[in-house]
Amino acid sequence: MDMAEAEFTQEEVMVVYPTVAEAMAEALGCDVGQVTLNASLIEDLDGESIDFLDMLFRLERAFKVKIPRGKIIEEARGELAESDFEQNGKVTEAGMQQLRAYLSEVPAERFPSPMKVADIPRLYTTETFCRLVLRAKRSDLTAHAHR
Amino acid sequence: MSAFTFVDRITELEPGAHGRGTFAVPQGLAEFRSSLVAEALGQLAAWVSMAHLDFALRPVAGLAGQLRFLRDVRPGELLELEVGIDSCDETALAYHGVARIDATPVLELADCVGPMLPLADFDAPDAVRQRFGMLCEIGAPIGRFMGISGLAIEVGERGPGKIHAALRIPRDAAFFTDHFPRKAVFPGTLLLDTQIRLAMELARETAAADQDLVARSVSNMKVRSFILPGQEVELRAEIGSEADEFLTVIQVARVDGRQIATARMTITARAA
Repeated sequence: MDMAEAEFTQEEVMVVYPTVAEAMAEALGCDVGQVTLNASLIEDLDGESIDFLDMLFRLERAFKVKIPRGKIIEEARGELAESDFEQNGKVTEAGMQQLRAYLSEVPAERFPSPMKVADIPRLYTTETFCRLVLRAKRSDLTAHAHR
Repeated sequence: MSAFTFVDRITELEPGAHGRGTFAVPQGLAEFRSSLVAEALGQLAAWVSMAHLDFALRPVAGLAGQLRFLRDVRPGELLELEVGIDSCDETALAYHGVARIDATPVLELADCVGPMLPLADFDAPDAVRQRFGMLCEIGAPIGRFMGISGLAIEVGERGPGKIHAALRIPRDAAFFTDHFPRKAVFPGTLLLDTQIRLAMELARETAAADQDLVARSVSNMKVRSFILPGQEVELRAEIGSEADEFLTVIQVARVDGRQIATARMTITARAA
């Protein structure tokens, strides 16, 4: 995936943010006021892996899009080969660069070093979910255009 | 094996898409609770997904967006099960389903999600594949489910609109032989059953003495982690909202102080 293509304006993010925040509050049973744009699902809002799945399905239903769960990490590594992105379950230096670009909304200090691939979802913020929705919507539009 | 299996015949199956099956509720049981009907649909959905993923992975309890209990099921009745798969991949199974008796819906499930885990952690894949073949071809022997026993809840603190209780998970129980052969896990639907019983107890305290109450639906049930043999589950039920026709009960279950399951239930008066 071309990373430049992954960029969205803040206005685009803010269009989907209220619905994403509502879905996140419902998934976590918390007040929607706690779901700020840069709140991390797992670190700040005490979410767990099941909440992550819950969020994806809620967003799919709310926005009528498909978010390919198995492909999120694949998207994150972009054009890097799997072996260049991760080794022994840990993200490589080249992988980290790619990941920081893909998750540009996540503050740099939140990226641990070394980072396990399995821990990547721990970085996800409300804005990350907004961007997942925007990518899925764009992907749907592209698919329709090619039909 | 039949201590906790609720599909005894698969009558139609398109792997990863949909399935139909049946379960003959044994005649000799004292009751067959609705949570086990939900379990039957979950098990059928698991078969459809495992067949799709070549028995490498299996779903486990995760989320149930909506369960609607439409009528009680009686011993001796034949459950007709039908599930539709909304999506199924290496990470999760999403499905909906309906259980019927004589073509009349008795329970509906929607927006259910089961995270996928390696099947070999829970069972011998070859044995599962073999059982699947038997269910599709000749069906399993019927009438072998003997009921669930030994799951008493100890009610603790009570207050206006709330009730606390403890559920001690037995170290050894017949249902663990099926759930699962290689890793004993307390079934999420038995937790649900316990929570419904607690919600009913709470509802009876606020309802008129002559009202016959019934659990009508469960929404947003989420199981966050496995409950293991020997653990003690702390149950808390609180009335969330109350109206003339129904009340909602918010349920939280904890193990060692950690929240492991949540759900919201609606209780109504039984229609005459």
